[in-house]
Amino acid sequence: MRPVDLLPTSEPFPPSADLTGLRLLQLADSALPIGSLTHSFGLESLVAKEILTKKHLASFFRGYIEEAGMMDAVFCREGWRLGSVKEGEFSSSRWREINELFSALKPARETRSASSSLGDNFLCAVLACGDFPLLREALAADGPDRKRPGQMGPKRKRMPIHHSPAFGLACAVLRIDQDHATLSYLHQSVASLVSACQRLMPLGQREAMRLVWDLKPTIIETAERSRMRGIEDVSCSMPLLDWGSMEHPALSTRLFIS
Amino acid sequence: MALGACAKAFSNESGPSAREHGRLRGLLDLDFQRAGASNRTALIRSLQEPPLRVVRAFEREDGSALAHLHNVSGGVLGGDSLMLRVRLGQEASAQLTTTGATRIYRPRVDAPTAVQINEIFVGEDALLEYVPDPIIPFSGARFSQRTTIHLAPRAGLFWWEILGPGREARGEIFQYEMIEMITDIVADGCRIAAERTRLEPESGDPHSLARLGNYRYLASFYICRVGLDAKAWIAAEEQLRQVARTAAYSSDTLWGISALAADGVVLRCLAQRGLDASSGLHTIWRAAKTLLFHRETIPPRKVN
Repeated sequence: MRPVDLLPTSEPFPPSADLTGLRLLQLADSALPIGSLTHSFGLESLVAKEILTKKHLASFFRGYIEEAGMMDAVFCREGWRLGSVKEGEFSSSRWREINELFSALKPARETRSASSSLGDNFLCAVLACGDFPLLREALAADGPDRKRPGQMGPKRKRMPIHHSPAFGLACAVLRIDQDHATLSYLHQSVASLVSACQRLMPLGQREAMRLVWDLKPTIIETAERSRMRGIEDVSCSMPLLDWGSMEHPALSTRLFIS
Repeated sequence: MALGACAKAFSNESGPSAREHGRLRGLLDLDFQRAGASNRTALIRSLQEPPLRVVRAFEREDGSALAHLHNVSGGVLGGDSLMLRVRLGQEASAQLTTTGATRIYRPRVDAPTAVQINEIFVGEDALLEYVPDPIIPFSGARFSQRTTIHLAPRAGLFWWEILGPGREARGEIFQYEMIEMITDIVADGCRIAAERTRLEPESGDPHSLARLGNYRYLASFYICRVGLDAKAWIAAEEQLRQVARTAAYSSDTLWGISALAADGVVLRCLAQRGLDASSGLHTIWRAAKTLLFHRETIPPRKVN
């Protein structure tokens, strides 16, 4: 088990709407110290090859939200459902399945690693703020039971935990409403990428703010549609961004880890 | 509908070439086994229900078996429900290809979506090379392809699909209704790759930079060998990236290569021309087979 600071909580149950609202604001803040501002998820390659420029950003992000955003929203909701169970009923095997599927759906190594780094850091950050046994159990969950011929050491290793399901899981534990959790996740995801674009191209502060402002209807619509989907029938078709993520390790100059 | 449930429902229906509610069912069930102590792989069993056919398997210089997958309808018609099931026994080696592009025809208005289900089992130390021609969806086409590949310990796989924009010569560019490509690769019991491509040009602009941008052809190429460690795959990723860069392709082609969660790499190709995607795939295939299997590639015999 990972050593974490266990702070006793002494708050009324259920928490007030004000408290959950403020917690959600903090968890969805791009300043949350989990590393989200160090990843471009392939955007850096698209900008380096001059495929993505400022004039394309609005339409690009609308498509991004419809595709990757939809997938993240579905997994966020799935994490939320898993976290909303009664004490002692958390399913580690289902948690493992969700994260294994998410890993498999990310073809690019850096993006997969980025997502799992953020997910891991996110759960650790929440656990640093209180004692949440379900989240501790989720963080400590083992990976697949596999041993290779000739492999030394333990069969299992800790599995990757991805950001969107981890976000949903934590929000459920904190009694944050599923729809608000999903909307907030999508919003922070877009805001982080727009912030990345500010460092990759001449995108000013107000332009960036206006971009995120104008994307809100698309975020809301995608979050709404994600209610009807499950993780086994989700789709995501972003081959150009896949290429960007796959090409990223080969860039000669990189500002971002992914 | 989950893949397993889909396949089970398909196989529970009986009768050759069953036609129900306008849906033609076709089946191709192929079993390749290595013949005793010899180096040769033979097609020891095939169950064929039209329109899917294999005429015969050809023995090749390296002992592997080559089979051409035919659809005697000439293409996939609206409402068709087709299944390809392939098993490779221990140490078997087989190559599957098509005789030409897979045409997805426009369906009747009331016809259900055409479905192709592929269930593939590659045994221990076996090698499957699936190297078909592109898929060309006609205007109005609706098609869903669902592939599950199970790899046993030390199994090897080369598997690609090329999706074209339509009948370019007739000006049909992204005029299909829906193309869905669902792929799952399970190695030694763990899912290592999952693809959920779904393109509906009417509702999601394929020209968006979030999708294909200015590119028309999309290819995915999975290269797997169960049991190689993660470091070997990172090294393979870099070497194949160099191969893709140094080959003489059109500058209008993008190649992305990345190690999977385990046991393989995946390539994504975006091209303006189908020929660039095809020739690039062949070059990378040759390099990867030498690198990972220390064997030479024998491209399929066909007239194209």
